[in-house]
Amino acid sequence: MDEREARAILGMHRAGETGLDEARLQEALRKAETDPELARWWNEDKELDLLIASKLVHTPVPAGLKARITSGVEMQPSVVRPNWSRAILLAAASIVALAVLFSSWRGPFQPAASMADYRDEMVSFIKVAPNLELESSDLERLQDFLEKAEAPARLSVPKKLRNYEPLGCRVLRFRGRDVSLVCFKLGGDKLAHLFVTDAKTVSTDGSASDPVYAAEEDWMTATWTEGDQSYLLTVKGDRAALEKFFSNS
Amino acid sequence: MAEIDPEQLVETYYAPLYRFGLSLSRNEADAGDLVQQTFYAWATKGHQLRNPSKVKTWLFTTLYRDFLAKRRHADRFVETEDALDFIEPLHVSPSVIDALDCAIVQKALHALDDRYRAPVTLFYMQQHSYREIAEILAIPIGTVMSRISRGRAELRDELSDAAAAEGRKIVRMGGDQAHG
Repeated sequence: MDEREARAILGMHRAGETGLDEARLQEALRKAETDPELARWWNEDKELDLLIASKLVHTPVPAGLKARITSGVEMQPSVVRPNWSRAILLAAASIVALAVLFSSWRGPFQPAASMADYRDEMVSFIKVAPNLELESSDLERLQDFLEKAEAPARLSVPKKLRNYEPLGCRVLRFRGRDVSLVCFKLGGDKLAHLFVTDAKTVSTDGSASDPVYAAEEDWMTATWTEGDQSYLLTVKGDRAALEKFFSNS
Repeated sequence: MAEIDPEQLVETYYAPLYRFGLSLSRNEADAGDLVQQTFYAWATKGHQLRNPSKVKTWLFTTLYRDFLAKRRHADRFVETEDALDFIEPLHVSPSVIDALDCAIVQKALHALDDRYRAPVTLFYMQQHSYREIAEILAIPIGTVMSRISRGRAELRDELSDAAAAEGRKIVRMGGDQAHG
């Protein structure tokens, strides 16, 4: 085996892989052990591949893609059925039935997602203008639509935000729960996005009936809880751009 | 029975699937659509999968098939068997590659011949064995390895050109010549 052939084989060798001719691979490996120049070349070759891989893995993924996937597709947990014999399957079925029963007991105690995760995902969703399921400037009509969709529909819109015309609404999913989104026109291209979900969906700091503000890149968010619902309002801009909706003056 | 958490599935695979879709389509919007379509397929047909350990391969295979199905000029992409041979790629100094922006590396990948781009992308994702890549692309493992070998060589050439265009010094190992 000449050095050129050894390089070609070593270049394709990855730990734990099968597929290469074992005898030729072993010969190339032995050659690398006795040839420092070949060993140096191989180490650099591996380093080069790792560098290229690390560059490619940093290719940016569009903001909002994940939220679009999870909201655009109604994804129920998928049960993967191993190819067991019928007898084993029947025996397993009774165990599974008990497991399902047990899991349904556990449901109410499943931990809520953190507010930071919720905020991050909702903001990432609207970074790319979302498709609305219903466009209407009539808030009651939007609420009727949300009610029919069995999503949170009894919306407590901040008083000052009610002065603005709604644009439309849609329902999205977060961690298996419905979230209603209602968009309001603020003038020009600016929009305010109001997300409403069951208070159990996200963990909040205490009652948090007063808005809690947090920045998410170019977006400012306010979150609060009212009754059994959790609210998130976001606009592009600074804190003042949001505070005006909650001021009493 | 093993239950697969759909949100965990999205969390784990949406980014690598997007990068694979981007390398195939060379278009961000199309790549996003391919990923969305893949998870839609999972939501509607995923229950048919019998072996949970095959979820990753199933997702990548589905995306690849969807991409092929959407190609307009299918006759241009008839798969042919490659002879099993490996070639020694041009050796570029790691420091040169390290200095390159990831967008340049992505561009070099996009410049690869269609036959090489998919296996090379999966190779550099470092998540798939040669056997899994063969399964995803529905080609023999020997063909996968030949294409990766040639694709790596092509990619190194592209990166070498890209680095030279940026005025960097390329060191060719073996003869240790310098150019650029």
